[in-house]
Amino acid sequence: MSYFLFIVKSAFEDFRRSKMQTFLTSLGILIGVFAVVTLTAMGLGLKKYISDQFDSLGTNTLFVAPGKLLQGGGFGESSLLGNRFDLKDLNRLKRVRSIKSITPLSSKSGTAKGAKDSEFSTIFFSSEAFFDISGFEIDKGRFLDKRDIDKRAKVLVAGPKIAEKLFGTISEAIDKKVTIDNVSFTIIGVIKSKGGGGFGGPDYDSYFFGPYTTGFIFDPDKKFIRFAMKTDENINISSVKEEVKDAMLKRYKDDEFSIVEPTEILSVVNGIFGIMNIVLVAIASISLLVGGIGIMNIMYVTVSDKTKEVGIRRAIGARKNDILFQFIVEAVALSILGGALGLGLAYAGILLVQPFFPAYMDVTSVALALGVSSVIGIIFGVLPARKAANLEPVEAIRYE
Amino acid sequence: MIKLDKVVKSYKIDEETTFYALKESSVEINEREFVSIIGPSGSGKSTLMHLIGLLDKPTSGEIIVQGRKISQLNDDQVSSLRNEFIGFVFQQFNLIPKLTVLENILLPSFYARKKLEYDPREKAMGLIKRFGLEGKEKSYPNKISGGQQQRVAILRALIMEPKMILADEPTGNLDSKTGGEIMEMLKELNEDEKITIAIVTHEADIAKYGKRAIHVKDGAVVK
Ligand SMILES: Nc1ncnc2c1ncn2[C@@H]1O[C@H](COP(=O)(O)OP(=O)(O)OP(=O)(O)O)[C@@H](O)[C@H]1O
Ligand SMILES: [Mg+2]
Repeated sequence: MSYFLFIVKSAFEDFRRSKMQTFLTSLGILIGVFAVVTLTAMGLGLKKYISDQFDSLGTNTLFVAPGKLLQGGGFGESSLLGNRFDLKDLNRLKRVRSIKSITPLSSKSGTAKGAKDSEFSTIFFSSEAFFDISGFEIDKGRFLDKRDIDKRAKVLVAGPKIAEKLFGTISEAIDKKVTIDNVSFTIIGVIKSKGGGGFGGPDYDSYFFGPYTTGFIFDPDKKFIRFAMKTDENINISSVKEEVKDAMLKRYKDDEFSIVEPTEILSVVNGIFGIMNIVLVAIASISLLVGGIGIMNIMYVTVSDKTKEVGIRRAIGARKNDILFQFIVEAVALSILGGALGLGLAYAGILLVQPFFPAYMDVTSVALALGVSSVIGIIFGVLPARKAANLEPVEAIRYE
Repeated sequence: MIKLDKVVKSYKIDEETTFYALKESSVEINEREFVSIIGPSGSGKSTLMHLIGLLDKPTSGEIIVQGRKISQLNDDQVSSLRNEFIGFVFQQFNLIPKLTVLENILLPSFYARKKLEYDPREKAMGLIKRFGLEGKEKSYPNKISGGQQQRVAILRALIMEPKMILADEPTGNLDSKTGGEIMEMLKELNEDEKITIAIVTHEADIAKYGKRAIHVKDGAVVK
């Protein structure tokens, strides 16, 4: 057995002999690591979730949404939910040359009843262009086409998750009826999984997609929540934005609509998470400082408790550095113990919230938590350890 | 083998008062000797033994170990000398409670800087067998008797194959029968293993084991 393992083993033997004290001492680090890892996991998950929603959209896509969506580096007081636009706007935007394809979007949520099961779900009503704009791929059956739009066909394309849920398998769903709010639709296709879910939150895999004209069944006012469009790849996106803006300004005031690129949304998201990270680092620093001081305090107590032991070890030939090393290892073990417990607790917490919230823990936060704990142990262990190492052997051995 | 040359140990009590725990003394201990250090309580026996054992530094004078002046060695070198050259045995056994019997015996070998010519674990097991501690390897010190603890302490002193064992009242916490067994063990080591032994005691019965006596009184070596 190497000397190092021996020291670690004796440190844990000490911990075993005073479990409560060890636990209370490592509590500071435990709480610190738990808080930071949990919050980071939630932040990361949320960020990944939001990114996934927009990542699928190419660089040459644009949204037009009512109100001011992005303001001063954050999300403005937009009404993402307000149905503001109508067919007139759609026709106006269709006349903008550089727009290759455009779809209006509206949605309807309700309980969808299938052959096997029912589930609360959402239908996105769009034109056939939405599939191209969103980069969907078909798995079984077919997409919406122009005829579905013109005929106001009661057909839906389903996400793979909802199709499986309601009909057992994806193939089973094709040509079957699904009822939402007493309106019966035929499923004509199922898209390939877009991922982005896996956190249990709403995602494309759990949505239906139907013709926007059919959506008017649920909305006699015939309004849309936004437009999504794809531009010509060769045209500068900002010039397209100008054209779209000019078109919209014919009817609306400047602050009544927003034209947004997915990348802009992402940069806003990144900005928000940047601020969140700073807050996290601050929380982490404070809690780890408090935890570290707790460890330093208990290590000073340990050193005076172990004065005799230090004397014995020095008498049989331990050098100052052997004693220094022993106490630093003990402090680090204590600190890592707290870190590992905090990490375990955070992991359990994340598993617990995952059905409701897209929390996501990555290897970096695990490595960081354990790394930071070790560093805390070294920093706050070194002073007490030096005190132990510098004890005069003869005084330590006489100590009772 | 070890020589104290005009060694003084004093403590400054306050600005004006200096307490002499050991007045100027010269002592020599030779190879294979069995020496008793005798004197009343507080006379300075332990002080003398700590100096001989290189645990303490003299206020003045020189300690010479096998021709080397200790004042010229640094702390690490002195630690290594204690590790390889000297074994300590104390009145209160001084085992480390959280370590098992075997780990306590092996402890000095963890601090060895030189390469050992033998496997310390094998040696420890051999000693355990030889001195009747079989089956106690994994016991913790508080689970064995005082006599057994003191035997473990002696085995710990032996693991590095030292030239000298220093024992400060090794029988002080034991009844006379067990104390006798410990003294027989030390005698055996002196005679069979040729290990130099110095024991501190204030009991005449124990001092008799020594072939030579160093008398300490009021901080002075009297003969
Ligand atoms: N650090 C110190 N400061 C001041 N005085 C000390 C110190 N260490 C020891 N002494 C004194 O030195 C004297 C000798 O102590 P020492 O322990 O050597 O005596 P001893 O002969 O071993 O006694 P005992 O038989 O009781 O163990 C004592 O009076 C003690 O109080
Ligand atoms: Mg004494």
